[in-house]
Amino acid sequence: MADPVLALGALSADWRYVFGNVDYLLGGLWVTVGLTVASLLVGFVAGLPAAVVEVYGGRYSSALVRNVGVVLRGTPIVVIIMLAYFAFGISPAFLAATAALGFRSGAYQTQIFRGAIESVDGGQMEAARAVGLSKTQAVRHVVLPQALRRSVPGFQNEVTIVLKDTSIAFAIGLAELFTKSADLYQSIGHTTATFELIVFISAIYFALTFVTNRSLEALNDAVAIPGGKGR
Amino acid sequence: MSDDPLVRVDDLHKRYGDEEVLKGISFEMDRQDVQVLVGPSGSGKSTLLRCVNRLTEFQGGEITLDGTPVTEMDVDDLRRQVGMVFQDFNLFAHLTAKENIMLGPRRVLGKTEEEAAERALDELDRVGLAAQADSYPAELSGGQKQRVGIARALAMDPKLMLFDEPTSALDPELIGEVVEVMEDLAEGGMTMLVVTHEMGFARAAATDIMFLDQGRIVEHGPPERLFENPEHERTAQFLERLTRLHGETR
Ligand SMILES: Nc1ncnc2c1ncn2[C@@H]1O[C@H](COP(=O)(O)OP(=O)(O)OP(=O)(O)O)[C@@H](O)[C@H]1O
Ligand SMILES: [Mg+2]
Repeated sequence: MADPVLALGALSADWRYVFGNVDYLLGGLWVTVGLTVASLLVGFVAGLPAAVVEVYGGRYSSALVRNVGVVLRGTPIVVIIMLAYFAFGISPAFLAATAALGFRSGAYQTQIFRGAIESVDGGQMEAARAVGLSKTQAVRHVVLPQALRRSVPGFQNEVTIVLKDTSIAFAIGLAELFTKSADLYQSIGHTTATFELIVFISAIYFALTFVTNRSLEALNDAVAIPGGKGR
Repeated sequence: MSDDPLVRVDDLHKRYGDEEVLKGISFEMDRQDVQVLVGPSGSGKSTLLRCVNRLTEFQGGEITLDGTPVTEMDVDDLRRQVGMVFQDFNLFAHLTAKENIMLGPRRVLGKTEEEAAERALDELDRVGLAAQADSYPAELSGGQKQRVGIARALAMDPKLMLFDEPTSALDPELIGEVVEVMEDLAEGGMTMLVVTHEMGFARAAATDIMFLDQGRIVEHGPPERLFENPEHERTAQFLERLTRLHGETR
């Protein structure tokens, strides 16, 4: 009764269950990280050109981009991911999740880049055109380099959102961090560890967002234009 | 061909929607002419300049450069031949002074990195900014920015330079250094179409002064005549006021 080790052990049975399965959970962590990176890449590759089209495109092409964006942003992510996996039959689950999170992120990244492009003074485009650059060259060499720098804070936000939203892949059973924790607390005899498991993976999500935020802040400083007003 | 005037503007009409902004402008510029354009705000000075390099389209009349109507030229080719300097400088904010100048030669003229860099340094030297080659626009004073703006246009070897109020955004003590560069350029034989209120520059460098009001040329002639003996009372009053405000800035 007075044995402190035994008392501690009795109190932390659920915690010992958590720590005993760290390797299992970390397997899910890598899926989470991979899914985040892949989705952000898809989002970037789709979102940046979409933003350029939305700003500089013709009436129909920019309207098309805008409307696709409205639909993607207006649909719950759980619906998008279920559609991708079950309705469109994208497989394996990782690919379905990447497509769903990626294109949804693309729709948001379009907004980030569009805002940044529009924030670049119109005189920049005009001067580039006056020197003889084509519109495409002016966008590529003058507008985008400035717009991308201004996109970093918005992108930072998007990274953390996508990172946390990867947990929605639970809906299609993809073995990422959250799904794996659910596997653990749903196994017989361990439902009492639900709270401990959620706390544990939340700490991991927090650590990940903390690290990405710091890295992107460093990136923001690294790409800042010398002499420019601090953004 | 080379007997033609370098620039011929013939009965130019330009509308923005229903508002006619240029109502039949005609004039010619020979090589090495320095044409100064003055007129009250909204008279159409910027619009006229922007018609020449087709930053804006016009509805009636014709502008020819070296005998070819600008509307028949490839627009990028036209702009290659016509340099422009802006009131707000419009330096590329993410590029150093040198890189600002290199961009056109690199991407438009297809020069190599080395050729473009060498040319950029020459141009910076010409405007007295060799030491600022690696500075970013935000690190330069207004006068320095505008001199880089001029160097950027010159690096394209333009036949014609357009200046739209190049000193209007500058603190008075910085105007002189820019005007000096422009005077050197005029002396060197550059053909220039200049919107400016700097009457010192107009007296010193202009071949002709054109007074524009409400989209029409009120009076057009050599500076001596417009300053000393204008036909219209309005011209006299306007030039007098400009001279009072912007006459002796150096
Ligand atoms: N993009 C535009 N759309 C509609 N109207 C315009 C546009 N740009 C200029 N205008 C109008 O055309 C007229 C001439 O303008 P412009 O800018 O050529 O005058 P300006 O002589 O250069 O004047 P300032 O001395 O103020 O620069 C003005 O009435 C102006 O409101
Ligand atoms: Mg103007």
